[in-house]
Amino acid sequence: MRELTYLEAVREAMSQEMRENNDVFLLGEDIGVYGGAFGVTRGMIEEFGPERIRNTPISESAITGGAVGAALTGMRPILELQFSDFITIAMDQLTNQAAKLRYMYGGKGSVPMVLRTPAGSGTGAAAQHSQSLEAWVAHIPGLKVVQPSTAYDAKGLLKAAIDDDNPVIFYEHKLLYKTKCEVPEEPYTIPIGKADIKRSGGDVTIVATAIMVHRALEAAEKLVKEGIEVEVIDPRTLVPLDEETIVESVKKTGRVVVVHEAVKRGGYGGEIASMIAESEAFDFLDSPIKRLGGLPVPIPYNPKLEKATVPQVDDIVEAVKETIRFK
Amino acid sequence: MANEVFMPKLSSTMETGTLLQWFKEEGDSVETGEPLFEIMTDKINIEVEAYDDGVLLKKYYDIDDEIPVNQIIAYVGQQDEVVPDTSPGISGNEINEEKELNESAVEETSVRIEEQSKVEPSEDVRATPAARRVARSNNILLNEISGSGPKGRVHVKDVNQVLIQRNDSRATPLAKKVSKAHQVSLESINGSGVNGKVMKNDVAKSIDRVSRVDPSIQTSQKRKLSGMRKVIADRMQESVNTAPHVTLTSEIDMKKVQELRKNLMKVVESHTGNRLSYTDIIIKATGEALSRHPAMNASLNDDEIVLNNSINVGLAVSLDEGLIVPVIQDVPSKGLREINDHAKRLAKNARNQKLQEDQLKGATFTVSNLGMYAVDAFTPIINLPQTAILGTGRIQEKPVVVDQEIEVRPTMAVSLSFDHRAIDGAPAAAFLTELKQILENPYELLA
Repeated sequence: MRELTYLEAVREAMSQEMRENNDVFLLGEDIGVYGGAFGVTRGMIEEFGPERIRNTPISESAITGGAVGAALTGMRPILELQFSDFITIAMDQLTNQAAKLRYMYGGKGSVPMVLRTPAGSGTGAAAQHSQSLEAWVAHIPGLKVVQPSTAYDAKGLLKAAIDDDNPVIFYEHKLLYKTKCEVPEEPYTIPIGKADIKRSGGDVTIVATAIMVHRALEAAEKLVKEGIEVEVIDPRTLVPLDEETIVESVKKTGRVVVVHEAVKRGGYGGEIASMIAESEAFDFLDSPIKRLGGLPVPIPYNPKLEKATVPQVDDIVEAVKETIRFK
Repeated sequence: MANEVFMPKLSSTMETGTLLQWFKEEGDSVETGEPLFEIMTDKINIEVEAYDDGVLLKKYYDIDDEIPVNQIIAYVGQQDEVVPDTSPGISGNEINEEKELNESAVEETSVRIEEQSKVEPSEDVRATPAARRVARSNNILLNEISGSGPKGRVHVKDVNQVLIQRNDSRATPLAKKVSKAHQVSLESINGSGVNGKVMKNDVAKSIDRVSRVDPSIQTSQKRKLSGMRKVIADRMQESVNTAPHVTLTSEIDMKKVQELRKNLMKVVESHTGNRLSYTDIIIKATGEALSRHPAMNASLNDDEIVLNNSINVGLAVSLDEGLIVPVIQDVPSKGLREINDHAKRLAKNARNQKLQEDQLKGATFTVSNLGMYAVDAFTPIINLPQTAILGTGRIQEKPVVVDQEIEVRPTMAVSLSFDHRAIDGAPAAAFLTELKQILENPYELLA
C-alpha cells in the first residue's frame, strides 16, 4: 500500500469529503494560497476555490463563531486554528455556543463542525505556540475531542469527525505531520470513541496520546530487551473515551502508566487514571497508577529545556520499570 | 453435649500420632470399649477404644494424617447433636473458654469485639488492590503476609508465595513425600481430607491418572512403613547408627556335623517328631562356645557391659511381613533333642503369630541362618542390646586340603558381627575359632 504523511492524510480526508459533499468547506487563517501555517491545505484552494477554502481575519473567536453559525444553518464547516494555543480566544464560542446549542435547542439544531488545530512542543515555537491544551475542551460537555497519532488514524478519524453532527475538536501534532504510514486511498471511517492497541504485551499497560504513542512504542522496544512486555494503548479520542479497552488491558497487566505531553497537573491523564481506579480494573492493580506529563512550566524556547519539560522515551522506560519493580 | 475423641498421649515422648484406620464411619453407633480407630506412634500401633456410648458424629481426620496429641479428632454423642465442621483443636481449650464466658457477660462482649477486629486486620495492611483480590479469593489474611514492596506493601507476588506455601502445607507429610518422589504438583490435586487437605491416596490417584495417560511412567506398589516393618526399620537403624559393627568370617568343615546329624537323626525324630537340623546343631555349638567365651555373651546397656549368666540364643525366623527372633533359653543345659524341640515349636509359633511375650525376651546372642539360600558370608546386624550375632551360610561341597590331599568336604561360611564398643577383635576371633573347632569336632559337645 502507498504511504502518506500525517499531513497528507489530513488533507486527503478533507479533499475526498469535499468532493463528495458540497456542504463541507474550510475556513481559517492563511489556508488559501499560503496553504495554512503548516501547509496542510496547500493546493486545496486550486481545486475547491476561495468560496470553499476561505481565508479569515486573524480572530479565532470570529472563525469559530462563523463556523458555529454556518453549522447551525446546515453547512459542515472545518475550521483551522494555526496553533492550538489560540483556542483560548475561541473558548467562548466553543464552550458557550458550539457545545451548548444542540442541548439548548432541544435537539432541533445541531453544530456539525470540526475544529482542526496543531498542538504540542518540539518545534522551537516557545511558550505561546507549543502547548497541549486538550484538557480544556475535554472538560466541556458537548464537545468531542480527537487526538490521532498516525496518518492512518488521522484520515479515518477526520472523516468520522466531519460526518459527526456534533462539534469535534481535532488535535493534530506538529511533530507528527511528517510521520508516514500506509494509508488506503479510498475514504474510510475510524469510529470516534474507539481506542487502538498499538502494541500488545502482558506486563505493563501504557496509555499514551498523540506524539507519546510513538515514544511509548520506542520505550517498549527498549523494555522488551529486558524482558518487559509493554502493551501500548492509544485512546485516539479523549471524548468519548474507550474505557473498556483500557480497563481490559489493565486487568490483564495489573500495572499502568498514563503518559501525555500536556502538563501533568490537571491533564487528561488524571481523568484516565481516575477512570481506571473507579473501574473493575482496580482490583487488578498491583502497583500504583503512574502518570507522566509535562512539567508545570511554560514551554521554554531553549531546545534542550523544551525537551526536558515533556516526557521523553527514557522517562517512559523509567516509569514502566518503577511500576514493575515489585512484580 | 457430644464427647470429644482426641489423640491419646501414649508415652511421655509422644507428640503426634498417625491415624492408620477408622473402624467406624460417621453415623455408626459406638459402644464404650469398642475399637474406634487405630493409630501408630513412634513406638507402637494401637487400637483406640471409645470412652463413651453414642453415635460417631464427626471425623476430622483421615488415614495417614499426623495428628498432635490431645487434638480433637472426632465427636461421639447423640444423633443430631451439632458439632463443629472442623476440629476445634486441642481438647480442653473449649472448656476453659466456656468458663471464661460464664464468668462475666461484659467480658464476653469485649472479647467478641476483639475477636471481630482480629478477623479483619487486613484493613491496616499495605497491599495493592490486586494483592487484596487474590488474598480475598483464597481466604488469606493479608497481615499474615510480609510485603516486598515499599513500606512492606503486599503485592500479588507475595500473596502467591504464601499460596504456594499453603498448598504445601495443605498436604499430609506422606502425601508430600509421595508427590515429591513422583514429581507431582500438589497444587493440581484436590484433597479429600479435612479442608481439602491432600492425602496420600489423592496423590496416588493423581499419579494413577498420569500413568494412564503416559504408559511409560510406571507406578510401583507402595506400602506404609508400619507395624512390624516399622519396628524392624527403627531397630535396625538404631543398631547401625549406634553400634560400630565388625564382621569376621570363617569357613567351617561340616563333615563331622553331617555325620553327627545323620547318626542322631532317627533318635531325635523318634522323640520330637522333627528332623534334626543343622541349625539345631549350630545353636548347640554356639551355646557351648559362648559358655567358654562369656565376653561374647554380653549386653551393652548405656554405659554398662553386662556379662549374662544365662546363655539364651535367639533364632531369626523369617515371616512374610518381616522377621522375628524367638529365644531358646539356657542353651548349654539343653541337649540337641530339646533344642530341636524348642526351635521347631518356636519357629512354628512365630509363623502362626502365636509366640508368647516371654518367648521373645532375654536373648543374649542371635543366630541368623541363611543356609537355605545360595548365600555364603554376609554382614548380620546386631540385635541391640546384644553385642554379637552369628550368620551362617549354606553348606557347600568344596575342595579342601586335608593332610596334603585335596578332598571334597561340605563347608559352611560363618559371619560373626560384633559390637566393637563392647568386644575387641581378638576375643571375637577366639570365639569364632572355638566355634569352628566345636563344629569340626562336634563330638566334643558330648564331652
